[in-house]
Amino acid sequence: MDSVMDWMTTTWINQLVLGYAWSWPTLESLHFLALCTLMGSLLVMDLRLIGFERVIPLRAVHSLMPVALVSFAINFVTGLGFLFGDPYTYAANYAFWVKMSLIVLAGVNFLVYFTKVEPAIINLGPNEPTPALAKAVGVMSLVFWFGVLSYGRLLPYLGTGGG
Amino acid sequence: MLAATLLRITTTFRLGEHRVGFLVWLEATGFADWVRMSTLGYPSMITLHAIGMAIMVGLSLILDLRLIGYFAGIPVAALHRLLGIAWIGFGINFLSGSALFSAQATSYIVDVVFMSKMALVFLGAATAAILQPAVVKADSWPGGRTPGGTRAVAFIGIIFWVGAIITGRLTAYL
Repeated sequence: MDSVMDWMTTTWINQLVLGYAWSWPTLESLHFLALCTLMGSLLVMDLRLIGFERVIPLRAVHSLMPVALVSFAINFVTGLGFLFGDPYTYAANYAFWVKMSLIVLAGVNFLVYFTKVEPAIINLGPNEPTPALAKAVGVMSLVFWFGVLSYGRLLPYLGTGGG
Repeated sequence: MLAATLLRITTTFRLGEHRVGFLVWLEATGFADWVRMSTLGYPSMITLHAIGMAIMVGLSLILDLRLIGYFAGIPVAALHRLLGIAWIGFGINFLSGSALFSAQATSYIVDVVFMSKMALVFLGAATAAILQPAVVKADSWPGGRTPGGTRAVAFIGIIFWVGAIITGRLTAYL
């Protein structure tokens, strides 16, 4: 683990993130913008899965998925920038590991949605109720992602501090 | 005439002093001290602020994008109702933001980046408040197309929100 962190600090990514005064604020601005679009698209999709706003056809609500995926990709890349910039601080902070674990759980939840829920519901029309598994996946998605957001924001104040 | 001018100048000066006096008082309250110094104060308020932001800005941006022409299969009426949840997010942000402001009121009030952020947040919220009644009759829009004026407000809303997020983040640095 120490050698991985040592290697991170020798990369060009580390140079880019720490070498310019504007790098870190720019990455943070992008990270925050994409978290807004991620949470906004998730709220609409998950609330529909849970059973609210049934006037939305499930195939139509699914058109928000690219927004969520692109937003997550932006946050993954900018997040890697923070990690390569200051790996020792993050690795020593338990809030960082809670946040990463919650992202993994959200990923598993997404796989359940992708393999089990989506095939069963994609052709449901407006006003049709969703199955219990769909509701559960929708609730867990909101729990995990708001958890990711909270632990991400708490990161500098918990553990030994970082970012 | 001269006396009236002098009186006006002194009154303005006193009002100015009063305003600063209020911020000094605010910053000295026990609550502001709790936000600034306690283990829970600042972290809990800043986390609520991020949660409220994600809800308000996230849902507003999805509605703005829908009105511009994306996700055409999603009924505008549904996103209009979800705007109610967005305003709850805004309320969370107003309260947590006021708490965070109280902790450093006298520095924030002279911070150009922070004051720009505040202007952009209220302009962004104003676009949402304008869109809320404007989209009620979305079902009767000819061909389902957003009217030009409403589309323009949605577009401007995106610019305000993006500006608010960026200046909000930069407040921590400048």
